[in-house]
Amino acid sequence: MENEPGIVSPFKRVFLKGEKGRDKKAQEKATERRALHTFSLSQPDHRIDPDILLNDYIEKEVKYLGQLTSVPGYLNPSSRTEVLQLIDNARKSHQLAGQLTSEQDAVVSLSAYNIKLVWRDGEDIILRVPIHDIAAVSYIRDDSLHLVVIKTAQDLGGSPCPSSCPDLNKSQTLSSLSESGAVLVEVCCLLVLAVDNKAAAEELCLLLSQVFQIVYTESTIDFLDRAIFDGATTPTRHLSLYSDDSSSKVDVKEAFDAEASTFPFQVSMNAEENSPSASTPASPQTKTASEGELSTTAAELLQDYMTTLRTKLSSQEIQQFATLLHEYRNGSSIHEFCINLRQLYGDSRKFLLLGLRPFIPEKDSQHFENFLETIGVKDGRGIITDSFGRYRRTASSASDSNGNGAAGGSAASDEGQEASEGDEWDRMITDISNDIEALGCSMDQEGVTP
Amino acid sequence: MTMEEMKNEAETNSMVSMTLYAVMYPVFNELERINLSAAQTLRAAFIKAERENPGLTQDIIMKILEKKNVQINFTESLLRMAADDVEEFMIDRPEQEFQDLNEKARALKHILSKIPDEINDRVRFLQTIKDIASAIKELLDTVNNVIKKYQYQNRRALEHQKKEFVKYSKSFSDTLKTYFKDGKAINVFISANRLIHQTNLILQTFKTVA
Repeated sequence: MENEPGIVSPFKRVFLKGEKGRDKKAQEKATERRALHTFSLSQPDHRIDPDILLNDYIEKEVKYLGQLTSVPGYLNPSSRTEVLQLIDNARKSHQLAGQLTSEQDAVVSLSAYNIKLVWRDGEDIILRVPIHDIAAVSYIRDDSLHLVVIKTAQDLGGSPCPSSCPDLNKSQTLSSLSESGAVLVEVCCLLVLAVDNKAAAEELCLLLSQVFQIVYTESTIDFLDRAIFDGATTPTRHLSLYSDDSSSKVDVKEAFDAEASTFPFQVSMNAEENSPSASTPASPQTKTASEGELSTTAAELLQDYMTTLRTKLSSQEIQQFATLLHEYRNGSSIHEFCINLRQLYGDSRKFLLLGLRPFIPEKDSQHFENFLETIGVKDGRGIITDSFGRYRRTASSASDSNGNGAAGGSAASDEGQEASEGDEWDRMITDISNDIEALGCSMDQEGVTP
Repeated sequence: MTMEEMKNEAETNSMVSMTLYAVMYPVFNELERINLSAAQTLRAAFIKAERENPGLTQDIIMKILEKKNVQINFTESLLRMAADDVEEFMIDRPEQEFQDLNEKARALKHILSKIPDEINDRVRFLQTIKDIASAIKELLDTVNNVIKKYQYQNRRALEHQKKEFVKYSKSFSDTLKTYFKDGKAINVFISANRLIHQTNLILQTFKTVA
């Protein structure tokens, strides 16, 4: 029957109808899909305007096979054998998609901030990886398969599976391995993508390479700016010494343009202003110069900090902050102050603690610095943080350096100096507390919400 | 030194005069081994001429290079040569702080002079910039420590020079940002030379005031 012209087997008819239906559906799907947000890249190195990565984004079509978690961190991403072995095992155990179909179709969106994966249809987000969490990108050609493998930091929340895969077996973790006697090691994730061809894979890798360049270049310049600012704004005088030199830390800070003010929390001002100093007898002129300098400097810092508080805290939180500051100034320990503040700010705003540095007296500065380190807040951000971390102010490094100014002073005069400096700081901090409380009240009245 | 004197000094020791001490001083040092008298006479003559006509030494050298048909990038070459210690600027106080100042200044000049070798490799250049940042910070910290410890009567001159150094450091940073957009290395070399010159001026100022 099947060989007679014009007569088609009913089974074939059904089959063909199904095939046509599927083709039609696929075609409909393809026409329904939106156009990707993409740009033409200059050849042969696929260069893209950095502004696009900084202020825009670029999309590429990929297939998302899945994400492997708890991969040993020592995995060499350049080793084809190692990576393929992991992928093969994962595919066998259905942790990664086996057959590639349109169900794995996804879109990778790339910018200088993160890579984002969404499903091609429906655009549901699969995952997002910040650039600083990416350790390496590899291209592996496995016969007709063109894989792009991205090694990233372990995401504690785990990762979703492609729709065709069963749930990940979460019991396969390194903690269970450690129960059998293995040593716990640092872990990472492998994001496994497939693209159509070698050119597409190279393009994706080169785009990511350019992103890394932008990010690391920006961070490096940041680091340079902070180093200059830090060195420029470290004070060079003891408060109580007479000087008619009006060029001070404020002048030096003015050498910076407005860009410097983007780092209100990077001011690592030495708190030597409130430390014992050389014993030149105080004079009204001296006190005025000292007060003027301190007031100007502290006022600027206060202004910066309050501006930021206003944007980051609610009115109630500002009042809580004022209360904590008041308690600290009235005798509660630096430890308690730090803990309470940490609780108030939470994880997302713990960087606000950096801005408090200028207001912590020298005697508590070491504890404060140690506390900042324990909660993972340092001078900088991201990858350059460790390098810059060594530029913490040294406790009391200059507070005992009386140099050649010792002559002519008396013990009473020294105590007087200390008292006047301490009084000055007390006054400033009290002013800060009052201003902050007032800020909180005014925000209440304005009905401002953060 | 008063502010007025500082300004005059700055004009006299402007950037163009860097050629005198970076290029000619090593030549005079070599010549001294051969003919001490001639070398000293030449040195004095060049110093006087440069003081009266800032930039004269550079003009002479450029003409010599042109005459000899030597094709070099003068700015880049100057940068490579600028790391050498200039005896006239070294502070000869024995105290540790002043030796630290000499050392930090030397370290900064050395790393700046390596820019031409590193600038074409992005990864290495970024590391160089980080090293420059560290060196600038360490020099400024040392400057701050010395100013604070010794509390000079004429601290205005020192503060002014520190301020100038910071200004040129910031300018160097801005030049780098522009370089990463337009790729023109020559501007980085020029800015680095300026920063080296400012480093030398800091040493000279401390040497004068201390």
